[in-house]
This record gives sequence, C-alpha cells and structure tokens, in this order.
Amino acid sequence: MIEFRDVSVTYPTGTKGLDGVSLTIPEGEFVVIVGLSGAGKSTLVRSINGLVPITGGSLQVGETDLSGIRRRSLRTLRSDIGMIFQGFNLVTRTSVMNNVLTGRLHSTSSLRSMLGWYSRADKEIAFDALERVGILEKAWVRASQLSGGQQQRVAIARALAQQPRVMLADEPVASLDPPTANAVMRDLQRINRELGITTVVNLHFLDLARRYGDRIIGMRAGKVVFDGTGAQADDAVFERIYGRSLTAEDVAAPGAPARAGTDAGAGTDAGAGADASTETGTGTRDGEPLDDAASTSPGSVQAAGTPRVASTPTDPAATP
Amino acid sequence: MTAPTQAHDGATGAITRAPRKPAPTAFTVIGLAAVLLITLWAGAGIDFTLAPLIHDLTRGEEVLRQFVPNWSFLGRDAVITASLTTLYMAIISSVIGCAVAMVVALLASKVSAPNAVVYQVAKAVMSAVRSLPDVAYGLLFVAFVGTGALGGMAALIMFNIGVAAKLTAESIDAVDPGPIEAVEAAGGNRIQRAFTAIIPQVAPNYFSYCFYVFELNLRASLVIGVVGGGGIGQTIMTELARFNYDNISAVIVLFIVVVFVLDRVSRAIRRRLT
Amino acid sequence: MTVDTPITPAPAGAGKPARPAPPSKVRKTVGMLLLAAVLLLAFTQVDARWERLPAFITEAPGYVALMTQGVLSNPVVDPNADYWLAAINAMIESIQMAWIGTLIGAAISFPLSFLAASNIAPAPVVFVTRQVLNIIRAIPELILAVAVMMPIFGFGPLAGAIALGVGSVGTLGKLSSEAIESVDTGPIEAVSASGARKMQVLRWAVVPQVLPEIVAFWLYRFEINIRAGAILGALGAGGIGSLLSALFNVRAWDRIGITLVTIIVITIIVDQISARVRSRIIFGDTKVRVMEPAEVH
Repeated sequence: MIEFRDVSVTYPTGTKGLDGVSLTIPEGEFVVIVGLSGAGKSTLVRSINGLVPITGGSLQVGETDLSGIRRRSLRTLRSDIGMIFQGFNLVTRTSVMNNVLTGRLHSTSSLRSMLGWYSRADKEIAFDALERVGILEKAWVRASQLSGGQQQRVAIARALAQQPRVMLADEPVASLDPPTANAVMRDLQRINRELGITTVVNLHFLDLARRYGDRIIGMRAGKVVFDGTGAQADDAVFERIYGRSLTAEDVAAPGAPARAGTDAGAGTDAGAGADASTETGTGTRDGEPLDDAASTSPGSVQAAGTPRVASTPTDPAATP
Repeated sequence: MTAPTQAHDGATGAITRAPRKPAPTAFTVIGLAAVLLITLWAGAGIDFTLAPLIHDLTRGEEVLRQFVPNWSFLGRDAVITASLTTLYMAIISSVIGCAVAMVVALLASKVSAPNAVVYQVAKAVMSAVRSLPDVAYGLLFVAFVGTGALGGMAALIMFNIGVAAKLTAESIDAVDPGPIEAVEAAGGNRIQRAFTAIIPQVAPNYFSYCFYVFELNLRASLVIGVVGGGGIGQTIMTELARFNYDNISAVIVLFIVVVFVLDRVSRAIRRRLT
Repeated sequence: MTVDTPITPAPAGAGKPARPAPPSKVRKTVGMLLLAAVLLLAFTQVDARWERLPAFITEAPGYVALMTQGVLSNPVVDPNADYWLAAINAMIESIQMAWIGTLIGAAISFPLSFLAASNIAPAPVVFVTRQVLNIIRAIPELILAVAVMMPIFGFGPLAGAIALGVGSVGTLGKLSSEAIESVDTGPIEAVSASGARKMQVLRWAVVPQVLPEIVAFWLYRFEINIRAGAILGALGAGGIGSLLSALFNVRAWDRIGITLVTIIVITIIVDQISARVRSRIIFGDTKVRVMEPAEVH
C-alpha cells in the first residue's frame, strides 16, 4: 500500500511539483496518472521511490516512511520498486542480459557487480523476466540493436528482475508509436494481473488511461483534480484536468506527429514524434495495428486521423 | 517602399535603408589587440628573429653534415636494449596510468563523484597533475629513485594520469544520465552505478584514450630519457655529450620510423573502438 | 511467438524455453591473455632496477619535506623573494616561447589543413599532405630542436620557439583538416552556385564555419606547448626547463619546490584564461566548457 498524506514537493528552484497530495493506492491496483506536462505526474511517481525527495507531508510505501529517509534504507526500498522510463534508460552499448541484470544489483555485492559476476540464480531470474515480456531470444543481443518497443520491454524485464512489489512507469509509451504503445501497456497490465504488482503509470493520453487503468488520477498544477474509474473520466473531467475542452489532437495516440503544434496540449514531449519514427520492425508481438484501429473506443479520435496509423500496414511489424 | 528614392531620403526613408555594417564586437577588437600585444611582447622576450635562417643556414649545414646516420650503431646490444626498454616503459606506464586515470576521472566528474567536496578536490588534483610538464616529473622521480627506467616510468605514469583523466572525466560528464537513474531506481549503490551504468558507456572512448596515451608515451619517453629516465632517450643524451651526431641521427631515424608505424597501428585500433 | 498471447508463468518442472547460450567469450579471453602476456613480458624484461622501488617511500618523503619547507618559508625575505622571481621570470619566458611557437605552428598548419581536407583538395594532394603531417607528428619537438633548430639558431629560446612551432604543425594540421572536412556543405553549395571561385568559396563558406574551432585548437596547442617547451629548456633553450634542470643538478630542493609550485599556479591560470577564451570563441559564452579534442598533444 502506498499512502500520500498531504505530500508536497518544492524543487530547489522554487517550482512546486506536488501541492498537498493525499492518496491511497492499495496493493495490486493499476493506477494511471494523467495531466499536462508539468502538472506533477512525474514528480508524483518519482517521489514514490525517492528519486524526488518530498519536502512536506508524509509518504508511506509499504512499511517505509519516506520523509527524511537514510540512503541505505532508501536503497532497500528502491529494490522493492521497479521503474520504467520514457527514454528506456538502457545502456545501449551492452547486451540485453547485462541491462536486465541491473535489476539484480540490490542483491549483488559491489565486488561481484564490478566484475560482472552475477549468480546463476540471478541469471535465471533475468531470463524469466525476459521470457515474461517475450524477448528471451534477444538476451545476448546488444540493446542498441533493438527497436524502441523491444527496448522498452527490456526495461520492463529489468524492473521485473528486481522482483518488485511496486512498478512505476514514467511516460512509458511516449516515445513509441501507437501499436507498440498499446502492446507495452498490455504487457504492463498483464504483469499487474498475473503477479499482483501494484502499478503506477504516467500517461499523457486520456484514452490510453481509460483503456488500461483500473483507476485514473488526474493532476493539475501539483494537485489531484480527479480520482476515479475510467468510465467516470468523461469530457467534463477532461476539462478539469486539461483546463479546456477535448479536441481531436488531445486523444491522438502518442507518437502522432500532429501533436507538435498544440500549445497547451496534453503534453508535448519533443521526443514523442521524433522517436516514433525510429520504431520499425518491433518484433512479432507488436504486430497488431489493425486491431487497434478497429478497437478505437467511441468518442476517441485516436488513429483515424493520424497519418502514422494510416501508414502502419506497411510497417514490417504489421505483417507477421 | 514605394519609390526607390525614398530609400535614400535621410529623414523619412531611414527604415528601408540597408542596415549599416555592425562594428566588430568589443570581444573581437580587444581580442585582436591582445593577440598583437602579446605577440610583440613574446617576440621581444625571446629575441625573435629569422635572420639566422639566412645567415647561419650554412652553419647548420655544417652541423647537419655530421648527421649522416651511422646505421651500424643500431645493431649494438645497448641500443637494442634501450629501444626495448622504451617500448616496455611505454606499455607499463600506459596500463598503470590509465587504470589510475579512470579512478581519478570517476571522482572528478559531477556525474560520478560521491559528493561535491570529493569532486572539487579531485578536479584540483587533476589540474595540478596536468600542469607539470613531463620533464619536471622526469627530473623529480629520477632524483627520487636514481637514473633508470623506474623513475622514467613513474614520470610517464603521472603524465598519463594528467592526460587520460581529463579526457575520461569529460566523457563521463557527457554520458546519458538515463541508465544512471535506472540503476539508482533499482537500488544500486555508487560503485554499482559506476560499473554498470557509467563505465560501459564511456568504455570505447576510454580505451581509445588509453591507446592515445600509449602513442604519447613513445614520444614522451624520449624526453624522460634525456633527463635520465632510461630508454632510448638516455642513449641519445649520452651520444650527444660525445658529439656522436652520426649515431644520434641513426637512432632518430629508427625512432621516427617506429613511432610512425606504432602510431598507425594504434590509430587503426582506436578507429575500431569508437 | 504468436501475437499477444498472454505468457503465463511456466508451471514448475515443466520445460521452460531453452535459455539462449551466451555469446562465445573466446575472443575476449584471448585478448585478455594477450594483454597479460605483453604486460608480463614488459614487467620482467624492462631494465628498471625494481629494487629501488622502496625509495619512493623511504627517500621521496624527505625530499618532499624539503620542497615544502622552501614553499612555506617567508617569500618576501631574501633570498626567497629572488627564488620566486626567478621562477616566475623563467615561466614567463616559457610562455613567450610557447606563444611564438604556437603562432608559427598556426601559420604553417592553416594552409596545410586545407590541402589535407578531402572535401577541398584533390585526393593525391590530400594523401601527400596527410603523410607529411603524420611524419611531423611522429618527430618529437626534442629531436627537431636538437637536430635541426639548434644548429641553425643556436641554443636559446628562439630555437625552442621554432622547434615548438614546427612540432605543432602535425597535430594542428590534422585537427584543423578534420574540422574542415566536417563543415556543413550547404553554404559551400550556395556560394559555389553563385559562381564563386574556389578561393572565394573557401573564404566565404568554409573559413567562417571552421575558424572558431581552429582558433580553439591553437589555444589548446598553446597550453600544450607551454609544457612541451620545458624539455627544450632542459637542453638549453631557456625558460622554466633550463631553471629546473639547473636546480636539479645542484639538488636545491627548496628552490625546486618553489619552482614547481610556480609552474603549477601559472599554468593553471593560463589554462583557465585559455579555456574561457575558447568557450567565448566557440559558444559566445565563457561559462560553457569546450570539450578537449583528443590528440591535441
């Protein structure tokens, strides 16, 4: 269980990241946090594993209290929390296996990790994690040779190798094209269901949030402005979170190039459009663009208008 | 922009007139003036003149005539030993120097230093180590342990640390912070962060610097040898004292050929690394 | 693997999919063994009198103490004041020598760098120029000074400056030509398209793009030349090297300490100024650090 009690985060620059947030996330829940860029989503997620220290209130993760936590116990806490990032954060020069084994560092001595001597048991855990995300056969490939979707799977495997109780994901699909984004979200959902790992995911896009989240938390200016199920998150809620009404661009899938022009758009990560173009041949498990186009939820304009999805049938991944 | 004449009309047409060429910036003016002044000062300081080039070229010719290489000198045991010593010195110093340099670099980069104090101290040490010339180290260590390759290697090692640590620290500064954050989020400690997230990223550059340092060592070992640090440099110094210019020129030609060849090999390896 | 099949954890004992075998480590192992063998050979064969190694612990601290004493003793009292002044003067002479040397190197290498750039000069010219630069690079300043400059210019700072200058040509030419090769081709095309001659293209499309970087290389080389000049001094070219070798000849440890500290302080100051100027030239801002090009030595 993760419990925020009146938590606030003020950065050294004076910017307020979180402003009096109170939340309870029970064990095993799949929570999606949505909001504009700078609304505090990232701060919220990063405060859970102490990457961002809280400056007010109290934050309880499991039995650990994060206010004024010591380095050592912070490391222990972090070993229980897996995290995946927008930019994957892999060491691309080394093998997939070495990256996944990073998840075993907390139970490996400094000397052994210096020499790269991981135990047989740790290697088996890493293989299991890779198997679970379906890229076992890539174990000894250099990470740089994988597509974006595969790299994010490696990152998930790395987090899984920690055998965590909580999984954090900070914009995990913002650098991926829509079909791959959906595949990665399904992976996260499946892992949550199968292993009962509490999962907290940041997303820019409300439609992805509605599709995958058991519970959606909307943030604006460091405050929680919505907390409910996907079904409850209607257009009025959208306005409350994003400060204006829904437009076609807001629900376009991540990676759609059309996003760049919106000013207060629901997040305009510069990387999103650019990175998506590198995403080709994402392996067999990504081959489902047609499904996605068909299953677009009513009211969502995702896919239909975006050139990216229109062109996906020519994507090598589309023809398994 | 109605009539061309308006462009030349002082009072009203000022907007359409082509902008005047901006004056050079203060930086440029002061910079060029400073360069000129420093050059005059420096030139005067060392009595710069190219006159000898015209007058004394003949004198040079006379000396150069004595430089006809005596190739048989290269076959002497002492010369072969000295050449090999230079090579061994370069290898040993590169390996030790680069290993130490990696540690110093990790401490002297904001990315990997454990805290601000260590970072500042390591940077200061690095600057100080870099600022002493190779000869100074040569003279110092030869005075400490006596003439020979031991002092020479110590000098080369210090010289290598200066060069390789700075380059490596700058590479570490430029690594992708993402993997570091990931290791931190996975509960890794500082040593694990360095070995799993930082070193793999800088490894190709680092190894390239190591080979570069090896190339430098071949040349620097000559300098070190001249002040008593062993190897072929010491041979040159001995022969210079005896005015055996023919022997020196043979050694020099050999040296240049060997350095040239090893340079090529080392560069080929470096190109494959990065 | 089929599309989107949920992967359930394999039941215990049931055959898990085969783990991919790690790649062969033969090459890595052979490489490591080779390196170890070379090191072993070097360590055992080098004529180093290893038995002197303890001197670093038994004798060096005493000398260091003497040097420290020299540095810490009151600098305004005679003769200490003279010692500091002598060191500063020698260092200034070294800087002057390095400055003139760098200018000579810059003047010679600048035109050569265009001849060594494959996007400017025809291939045969590039090849020949590069080989010339490589050969110069292989010749240490020391040899240039001893073999060529001193016979002509006599033993003195002038010979030192010229040796440094010629010695700089190799590296500066190489670095500059690489900078020229990496210029943006757009402006070259644009200027060429306007009917400019080759020299005009160089002047208006290439030089403006590469000049800041090349000037930064010159400054780097100036920093290196201050250090490289020291060995020439030890052979009689004046400057800090002459002072140092004279002091070591008589083992005047207190003065050696004073001189070494002077070298460190002045070199760091000059390096700092040079770094600021480089940043200003390249980025228009003194705060941003310019990364050192490898191979400026």
